[in-house]
Amino acid sequence: MEIPYVVTPRKDTGLINSKIAIWLFLASEVMLFGGFFSAYVFLRVDADYPWPERALPVIPGLVNTFVLIASSVTVVFAWASLKLRKWRHFQAYMLFTLLCAATFMVLKGIEYNVKFHHQALRMADGAIIEGHLGYELKEGADKHHPKEEDYKTDHKGHKIEENRIYVEATSVTFNTVRFHKDWVEEIIAEAKEHNSKVSLAADLKAVTKPGGKEETLFPAGTELSVEVLNKIADHHLESRENNSNLRTDDLRAAWKAAKKENPGKRGWEIADKVAVDSSHFADQLMTEVPSVSFKVDPPAKLEFLPRDVKEGPTQSRLRDETVIDGKLLESPMVFHYVDALDFRYLAQKAMEPGRNLDPMKEIEKSWLINHNAEIKAAWEWHKGEIAKLEAELKKESREPTFTERYRIEWKDFVAKAEGKTREDRDKVVLAKEQILGPDYDAREEIHAFPSHVEIPREEVAFASKFAPAWNTYYAIYFTMTGLHGLHVIGGALVLAYYLFFGKKMYLSNPEWLANRVEIGGLFWHFVDLVWIFLFPLLYLM
Amino acid sequence: MADSPEAIKKSIRTYLLVMGALFVGTVVTYLVATLPALDFGGHGFDAADCVIGLLIATVKATLVAAIFMHLNHEKKSIYWIFFGSFIFVAALGGLLALAYVSPIHDKFFPQGKPAHYGDKE
Repeated sequence: MEIPYVVTPRKDTGLINSKIAIWLFLASEVMLFGGFFSAYVFLRVDADYPWPERALPVIPGLVNTFVLIASSVTVVFAWASLKLRKWRHFQAYMLFTLLCAATFMVLKGIEYNVKFHHQALRMADGAIIEGHLGYELKEGADKHHPKEEDYKTDHKGHKIEENRIYVEATSVTFNTVRFHKDWVEEIIAEAKEHNSKVSLAADLKAVTKPGGKEETLFPAGTELSVEVLNKIADHHLESRENNSNLRTDDLRAAWKAAKKENPGKRGWEIADKVAVDSSHFADQLMTEVPSVSFKVDPPAKLEFLPRDVKEGPTQSRLRDETVIDGKLLESPMVFHYVDALDFRYLAQKAMEPGRNLDPMKEIEKSWLINHNAEIKAAWEWHKGEIAKLEAELKKESREPTFTERYRIEWKDFVAKAEGKTREDRDKVVLAKEQILGPDYDAREEIHAFPSHVEIPREEVAFASKFAPAWNTYYAIYFTMTGLHGLHVIGGALVLAYYLFFGKKMYLSNPEWLANRVEIGGLFWHFVDLVWIFLFPLLYLM
Repeated sequence: MADSPEAIKKSIRTYLLVMGALFVGTVVTYLVATLPALDFGGHGFDAADCVIGLLIATVKATLVAAIFMHLNHEKKSIYWIFFGSFIFVAALGGLLALAYVSPIHDKFFPQGKPAHYGDKE
């Protein structure tokens, strides 16, 4: 089939059809990204926490800006080469464009990866601590320099991040329709590891047939398994259906009788005379088993991920409504390294109208400073350096920023350990650290970062990796850069198609291919254009 | 349109110049945001830095749109299609901004602080 007006312009529009199409598409893209940009503005204006200004590593963003600009230029050159009928040049320019796209995505991948492995924690008092969690160690292992064989492993052989909720379980009660199979298996495996038996606390008796007698479905002592739970669930659902049918039929009969007794009356007038009478069908009812309890004997230490459990001192509840009875054990979050302390949120809360407290005093009351000598020492060093900065800036009648005053970053920790001042902190950064984040191994030798910091569970207000859940800044950052990244991939695929499958069209109709590359190029420029705004908004402001 | 081979050859120079300008613009944005000596407004990030950063970004975007995307000599219908979408973006922003000038008056809302402050204390 011949597609009209892809080489010669239409008379009425004066344009080739595909050009109008791509501009219509780009107009829709403007509205899509416009929506996200306004979301960014309103999230930022209304944020009730200090917006993380200039929080991202700038160098990868800067390099990516150069990469995208360069690729924008080469895509134009590729188009111009086709117009001048230079196939080899076109190939070279297009290949360079694709390499740029790949570089962009690799850098983005590194950036995302660093975020997803970086832990943040907001304390109950508002202080924020950032770093990397440790993994649980065997008894007697060196906490500061663990070897590979020193790590404990779970029943699956994985290292255990020091961020678990531990419960000394005495009994486990499952919701028979909602239980999550994997978690049941996990509980069985963990109990087995502790030589503990999970079995039915009492005989599970039930009427299994309408009109039947109560019989024992499972005797006391039946061991927990997914099959047992599935059988109970099947029975429960069957009973529920039977019983609800009985109720519905009885209600229907009651309505019928009431209408007969009160001819001409409207439904709402006789509604109070209609009710289900369970005595009519009591002998037909089956026993519903909405939940079933298993005892854990002897009590076993079960572990859960914080996101799966709502813990309580004597009873905890999983997301699938499984109830775990038993004492909550010490479940601290342990930072192997701390690479930043952020008191901005605490300070902002202290200075809120109505409270008007001195933020410095409030910070010094914080749990972190009072429970960890290394953190206290870092704070004292920081205070001294900020006093110097304040004196320096005063000469120009300026003052330190909120971030400078209340945030201690990894560069500060390193400067302190190397005996330098805060002023020199940008000089302590190694080249690769600009992109990959702090090099912990190199810093370990000088004990730069507070290590092995234990945070008791009751002091944790909220914890997350630097993922969208951490705050609205990261939510909009991942949304916008993720959407932009998808555009880069899509655009690169289209351009790659022209490069690798364009030769035949070039030989038969080079002008058509040139027009296609122009259209693909327009999309590519738009992707660049979006990044031109994303870079300053997310990285520099 | 710059479609003839001669015109294309001529515009290659323009493309290179624009690339240079874009690189310079990026570097300037970066320096303004990071160098203490180029810190406009108060110390640290503030309204002046925001305006400068977005101004440079707008100039860069205009260059890309005008030269690379050939909007400087495009048919009128394309202008209507593309710039028309900005009206909708502005309308969206405007509607959201209305939430600030006219808070919701609901007699069942607690009086005093607007509800969106969400204070727990």
